[in-house]
Parts: sequence; C-alpha cells; structure tokens
Amino acid sequence: MNVAQAIRRWMPASNSASLIRLAGLFLGFYALALTLAPAVRDRSFDGLSELNWGHWFGMLMWAVSFYFLDRRIRKELPNRDVFIVPLVAILSGWGLLTIWRLTPFFGFRQTLWLGLGTAFFILALRYKNEILNALRRYKYLWLLAGFLLTALTFLFGTNPSGIGPDLWLGCCGIYFQPSEPLKLLLIIYLAAYLADRQPLMSGLVPLLAPTVLMAGIALMLLLVQRDLGTAWVFVFIYTILIYVASGKRRVLVSSLLTLALALIAGYFLVGLVHARIDSWINPWLDPSGSSYQIVQGLLALAAGGIFGRGPGLGSPGFVPVSHSDFIFTSIAEESGLIGAIALLLIVLLLSLRALRISLLARDAYQRYLAVGVCAYLASQSLLIVGGNIRMLPLTGVTLPFVSYGGSSLLTSFVALLLLCLVSNETVNRATPVSRTRTTQGVGAGLLVAFGIAALICGWWAVTRGPDLLTRNDNARRSLSDRYVPRGAFLDRNGQLLSETIGEGGNYQRQYLHPELSSVLGYTHPNFGQAGFESGLDPILRGEEFQPALDLWLNHVLYGQPSPGLDIRLSLDLKLEQQAAELLANEAGAAVVLNASNGEILGMISQPTFDSNNLNENWETLLDSSGSPLLNRATQGAYPTGTALGPFLLAAARAQSTIPDPPAELSFAVDDLQLECVRQPLDAAVWSELVAAACPGALAELGIALGGENLLALFDDLGFYTAPALDLDLRAQTMPSTLERPGNAGVGRDELRISPLQMALAAAALTHYGQMPAPQIALEVETVEGGWRQLQPEGEPVQALNNTLAQATAQNLASATLPIWEVTGRAIGDDGQIYIWYLAGTLSEQTEEGEARSVVILLESDKPALALSIGQALLLAAMGQ
Amino acid sequence: MENFSAYLLLALRLLLALALYAFLGWTFYIIWRDLRQQAESLTHLRVPPLLISQIGENGLGEQLRFTAPEIVIGRHPNCEWVLANETVSTKHARLLFHHDQWWLEDLHSRNGTFLNEQILTSPVVLANDDRVRCGQVNFDIRFEELSKK
Repeated sequence: MNVAQAIRRWMPASNSASLIRLAGLFLGFYALALTLAPAVRDRSFDGLSELNWGHWFGMLMWAVSFYFLDRRIRKELPNRDVFIVPLVAILSGWGLLTIWRLTPFFGFRQTLWLGLGTAFFILALRYKNEILNALRRYKYLWLLAGFLLTALTFLFGTNPSGIGPDLWLGCCGIYFQPSEPLKLLLIIYLAAYLADRQPLMSGLVPLLAPTVLMAGIALMLLLVQRDLGTAWVFVFIYTILIYVASGKRRVLVSSLLTLALALIAGYFLVGLVHARIDSWINPWLDPSGSSYQIVQGLLALAAGGIFGRGPGLGSPGFVPVSHSDFIFTSIAEESGLIGAIALLLIVLLLSLRALRISLLARDAYQRYLAVGVCAYLASQSLLIVGGNIRMLPLTGVTLPFVSYGGSSLLTSFVALLLLCLVSNETVNRATPVSRTRTTQGVGAGLLVAFGIAALICGWWAVTRGPDLLTRNDNARRSLSDRYVPRGAFLDRNGQLLSETIGEGGNYQRQYLHPELSSVLGYTHPNFGQAGFESGLDPILRGEEFQPALDLWLNHVLYGQPSPGLDIRLSLDLKLEQQAAELLANEAGAAVVLNASNGEILGMISQPTFDSNNLNENWETLLDSSGSPLLNRATQGAYPTGTALGPFLLAAARAQSTIPDPPAELSFAVDDLQLECVRQPLDAAVWSELVAAACPGALAELGIALGGENLLALFDDLGFYTAPALDLDLRAQTMPSTLERPGNAGVGRDELRISPLQMALAAAALTHYGQMPAPQIALEVETVEGGWRQLQPEGEPVQALNNTLAQATAQNLASATLPIWEVTGRAIGDDGQIYIWYLAGTLSEQTEEGEARSVVILLESDKPALALSIGQALLLAAMGQ
Repeated sequence: MENFSAYLLLALRLLLALALYAFLGWTFYIIWRDLRQQAESLTHLRVPPLLISQIGENGLGEQLRFTAPEIVIGRHPNCEWVLANETVSTKHARLLFHHDQWWLEDLHSRNGTFLNEQILTSPVVLANDDRVRCGQVNFDIRFEELSKK
C-alpha cells in the first residue's frame, strides 16, 4: 500500500471527520512535544518520571469528546456546515494543551469543563427541533433571567482569583460568570425581536426603541460592575446586528461615534479606563507598573519569533494571567508567528463560516442568530488579541474556545450549537436578502481587522523582536543564565576573578574578589547587570565569537545562547589587591595604565560592595550615601582642580606663550581662596609652580592660552569623549566657548571628568604625547580551547606635542623616584574637596612598552596620602 | 546524544507545524472544491431550449431556437431577441430559467406583456404552447425535450 492510499484511507470521505483527525494529529504532536520538554530544558534525561504526563488526560478527554460529538452531529444534523466543529475542535484542543502547559491545575479543570460542554452539546442535540423556537418564543424571559443573574453579582459577587472586579457567582471552587451567557441571551433576544418586527419596519427609531432599552440595561449592569471588555463586545454585537437588519450605514457611524465619546469620557472620568488607555498609548513609560502585563506580553511575542520556542520551551508564564487573558501571547511564544497567524486564520474562518451560514439561513430569525454569533466570536477574539498585541486598549475578555474559563467555554459551546442548528436548516432557496452589502461589509471588515492583527504580530515578533529581547525586564535572559554556563573573568596572569558554578538549571555567579565588585560589576536575575559583567555580556553569555552553526543550533533547539566564553582581562590581581588595601578606608578611585598600549592594569573604586550578597544588601546599597554601586573610576565626574598644570604648561610651551611667573601664587575665585598644594621650592621656575599646583600660576597659564586653545587642549586630551570601552560611559559635551580661561586653568569651570579620562591624559604625557586607546579585555577563549586576541575599541591619539610632553614630564620628575608626578586639589560645587594625584614613568628611563601612568582620586583633602598610594601603585606597576 | 531529546523535539515541532497547516490547507481545499463543484454544476445546468415562433397575419412564422438561460426581448440591439416594432419597448420582457422552470417577466414595458391575453404583474411560470404578446407582437412558445442522458 503506497502513501497516497494510506492517506486516503486515513482521511475519510466525511470532511469533518478528516479535519478532526488532522487537528488530532497536530494536537498529538503538540502533546508529545510537551511531554519531552523538561528533558530538553534540563538538557538531560533522568527517566520517564521527569517528563510531563498530566496533559495527556486533557488530550484523551479532547479525543473522546470530539469523537462522540462528531459522530452524533453527523447523524443528527446531516446538513450542517462541516467546518465549524473541526475549527472549534482545534481551537479548544490547542487552548486546553496550552493551559495544561501553563498551570496543570487549571488544565485539569478546563479538561472537566470541556467534557461537560461536550456532554451538554450531545444532550441538547436531542431537542434539536425545539431549541431555536423555544429561544425565540420566550426571548424576554431569557433576557430577564440573564439580567437577574448578572444583577445577583452585585449581592453575591466574588472573584475566584481574589483580586479584581467581582463578576462571578458561586462557591466551593465552582464559579460562574453570568455576563458570559448574557451575551448569547442578548443575541437571541435581538434576533427574535428584529425578525418579528421586520415586516412592520417603518423607521429606525420605533424599531430600535425596545432594543436600545434592553441593550442599555445590559450595558449599565456591566459598566457598574466594571466589566468593560464584555461591555465592548455588547456594543459590537448590537451594532452589527442592527446594521445587518436595517442596512443603514448611519447605525455604524453613530455607534462608532458613541464608542469614541464613551472612550473619551471614560478617559477623563474613570480611573480604570484612564490607566488602560495610558498603558496602551505608551506602555514603555511604566513597564514595571500599570503596563507590566502588556510589555511582558509583547516580550513573549518577541521571544517567539517566527517559528516559536517550541511547546513547553518558552517562558509564557512570565506574563500575568497567561492562561486566560494572555493565552494568545503564550501560544505565540511557543508556536511563533506561524502559530499565531494560524490561530488568527482559524478564528477568521470560523467567523466567516458563521457569516455564510447567516446568508443561507432559512428565515430572518435564524439569519440574525448566526450574524450575532459571528459578531460575538469575532469581536471578542479581536478585542483580546488586539489588547495582547497593543492594537487596541487591553480589556479582560477571554479568547473564545481557547482561554481558560468554564463559563466562557460553555457559552462558546452554546454558540457552536446555535450555529450547527441554524446551518442544518439552510436551504437552497434561502430567504431573500434585501441587502447583501451589509453582510459583505461585515465580512470585509473582519478580513481587514484580522489582517491588521496578523501584521502587528509580525511587527512585534520579527521587526521589533530582537531589540525588545535585550530589555532588562525580559526575565528570559536571567532564566537562560541558569541553564547556560557563563564565561569566567581571569586576570592578566590567568587568575580567576569571577566564575559560574553549579549545575545546569541552577548556575550561579560567584565573585572571588569582592573588592573588585565596583569595577567588575555583577549579573543578577533581579537587579540586572553592571560593570564589565554588563559591558562584556555578549561574550560571557555566548552570543559573540561563536561558530554561526552553534549559535543557530542553540537558538533553534533551546532558544538559548551557546555556553559563554572566558575572558582574560588586562587587570593585574596583585595590583588590584594592593590598591584595594591602600584605599581601604577612603572614598576615591585609582587607575593604573600601561601608557604604551592603554591596557588597564589596575582599577579600584571605593567604597565598594560585595556582588555575592546583593540579595541581602540591595536596599541598603541603593540608599547608601557613599554610592558604593558607582564605579568612581569610570562613572565618576569630578572637577579637575589644579591637577591640569602639566598639560597647560605643555600646551603653553607649544604656543610659545609662557608668561612670567606670577608674584601671587594663591588665587581668589567665587569667594574661595585657592592655595598651592605644597610650597614650591623655587617660585620662579614654571615647572616647580606646576608641580606644587599653585593656582595663581595656573590661572596665568590659562589666561595666556585663552579660551579657544584651552578648549582645543581639553578636546585633544579626550575630556569631551567617553573612553572607548565596552561600558555605557558618558562624557560632557564640549561647550562652544570658555568664558573665563583663568578659572579654567585652576579647574573652577564646568569641566567634569572621570579618573579614567585623567589617567589616559596622564598616559599621553608619559608616552610621547600619545594618548592610547584603553583596553580591558585582552583575550577571549575560543570554542576549540585556545585563546584569541582582542583589539582595543578605539585608536591612539596624538594629544600633545611629542618633545614638549617628554620635556614637561622630565621637568616634573620626582627628586627620589624615576617618575614624574603632580598633585592637584579641586573643590566641588558643594565645597567638597578632592585630591588628584597624577604620575607616570619617564620616557628616557623606560623601555618601549613599559611606560606606566597612574591616577589617584581621593574624596578628601589628603594630598600626602594620595601621593603615597600613587607612588606605591606606580612602582608596583613598573615591576610588571 | 546529549542533544537527542532536543532534536526529537525539533522534529516534533516541524511535524506539528506541518499538521497545523495541513489542517488549514485541507480546510481551504475543501472550501475551494465545493466552490468549484458549485460552479461546475451551474455551468452544466441543462436548460431546455426554447422554440419561439412569431404569429403574424399569415399564421406561424419562422421558429427561432434559444439555448441561453436568460432571454431578453425588446427593440434594443443587445436583446437576445430583437423585435423591430414600435409597440415593443427597448427592453420589454424577459424569459428566465431557474428552479427547473421557465419564467416570464415583464420589464416595465409601456404596452405591457400578456400571457394568454392576461396582463403580467409578476413573474409567471410558462407552460408548453403558451401564447405571449409583447405590445402588438404575438408569439408562441414551446420547449424542446431534453434528451435523457
């Protein structure tokens, strides 16, 4: 037997049975995938008991339910539309499995509801000849009963989830939402009323008066109960039914106007509506508060991409209420855009079939019934899907047949029954349609709306997806951190700095040297990332320097990055520990550079914290006045004070504008009297005045250079450029002019720079006027196990004249050590005193490649301490 | 082997996507097939040809044979049967085959359409050998027997 024969045998002649079998095939594969998912997630197989089995109960119930339902209905209603039962079957099965996957408890309940709904359906088929007429005859009775039940929620209403509007009746674990059947009762009432009045129709107003009253009562009940979603659905059902019955386009126009007015009024009068509309128009303003749900929903869409993460492999549970209101994004995350579009197509097909049934209906009553059911299914689906994907403001209604909820599922099954009954009575000689254009209009409107929804899904899943996924509130990133090992940080000699420990599924980051926390930073599931852990994240996380095939396979198989790669940093652990010790009780920062190539040998910021104990200390750290989370070396912005003397001197010499040494060494500015940091040995020698950081002399230099030259100098030294490191660093923007060059000379202007920027400038003075490009990551481990060298981000810059830089450094040489040095003092706007210490090796006494520069910043007036720390670190670095 | 379950699940994902779209494809195929069948059954709808002979002063005139399911009678050259007579309106009457019968319908002609000398106010079913008058033009209508197939 060949394949074609096998398929033909398996696909029976009955269209509905073959379609239900295809749906069963789809769901069977889905359920199998769900079963396997835990093994794939953990990347190990620990026996069958580790797998998911519960949802097979749901799958079994689905198969039994629809087997019997289809068999009965083929016998009882041979003339019905063959598509609607299979369409409903695939929708409800897909929803059921998704609910099982999200919350097995709800999955179990939904399974029972599905069985109950089917049993009810099969039972009701016995009364197939009486149902439609009974509904028509007692239309007011049914509607009043619906009103009464809904009104009862005012007295006895509860909410099973504990919070939110009290829309449910019931107790002891069984709850019922009267507004769900109320929709169908309204449809039945309207269909019966309009059909009875049709021949007498004289004008719109007398025709509509009673329906406006009834729909108005229903609407009021819902509005008072804050069930806004259902109220929307009501308005849609009412509008479409009246439009199809009357054929008057002004019905549509006035309904749209009323809706718009209600929205505007609600926006200004009702807090809930206001919040919903705000978080619709701009969800990014408050992504952790009022628009948390919608932003998380969009992240789920983005995570799904085109092909989805696979059943059980995504993280749709991050979206609140994912089993009910947000089941669409759950499906989109695991089945991808192709799944989302298929789902939209199924709902659209169902709505269009309902519309077709209405065209072929036997009489006006049945026609309006079918139109009403179509309006109910389509509008409710569009409302919740549109709310999920930010096409419409979010309203809490269910996705018919798919979302969790007993009342919703039962109501949907009643709607299905009505459609089947009406379609069974369709005849070739249908009752004449006076205005087909209305039905065409509704159909075209549905096509357009579902098309827009599909396009918007594509926008989030494909166009915006990659950007969205890098957001900090995308919890999938920290989840994948628990399953994929992260690369380690090593110092330049191969000593471990931070690493990932634990086993797959429970990886944790360990920081071996807490004193480096401010510099290396942290990566934390709740608090995000900081420092180099953040800057070099793509490598550590395994997104860069990976073979393309590995990356692709990991993405396709697990939806996760490859195992991360280790990075060898330029930092020297011994130097770091020494610096941390020396600065232990101070607030400040230290940076040690290899002035020849820009490698950062040492970087310390104090006070610091311990990245290992963020959970315990986070609140204290945030509130702490010492700002321990700040990396002062790279993120600090300090006034330059009198530390810029060497650069001013070199620049003035380049311009040949050296003034005579001033008589007055102190300098008065802004009610402050600035003094030399130490007494100059010889007040007539410029280099000695600069080394002693005498403000009077520096102001003279500044004035001699003038604003334009100063701006050019500061620009050359990189004070207006963020250092080219993989950190999110910022620099001041360059002002257009410097009004007071004297003040600039003593660092009493707007300029604020980080110790790293100062260290790079010091490196230029140390190394032939050439400012190197800073580098922190030296090498990355390759997948094969070797090491691959990394290049600095930026390019070296000739910041100062070569010979003048050498000469100036030589002038500033220490009496005892083979280094140049200068100590400056800066005063912040709040009067806080800072001490800068700049030093470097002398080019004449250094081999190429061994030039070192150091910068110390202390947030206290301790020039001697800064000098001793700086000298110790520089000497230690020279040993390297 | 570590990845075995992942590859298995990938295969399942492919299969389930295929099944999902097979479902949709089959649905659309059936809808299209129904459409085609309906269209075919309409095109193959067999219309019994009409035999119309004008009745002049000298008795029956030449017999005309029509096979189309719709015949408009009038002075306008686009009409299936053009009658150059000033008592006939531009579009005078219509013969239409539906529900297995030939129907005669007056198209708001000035001088009226008569079936067996009864003026027409609504469409009526024709019988064999009926006499129809449009304005002052008389004619006789017969159906040709459909050959049994």
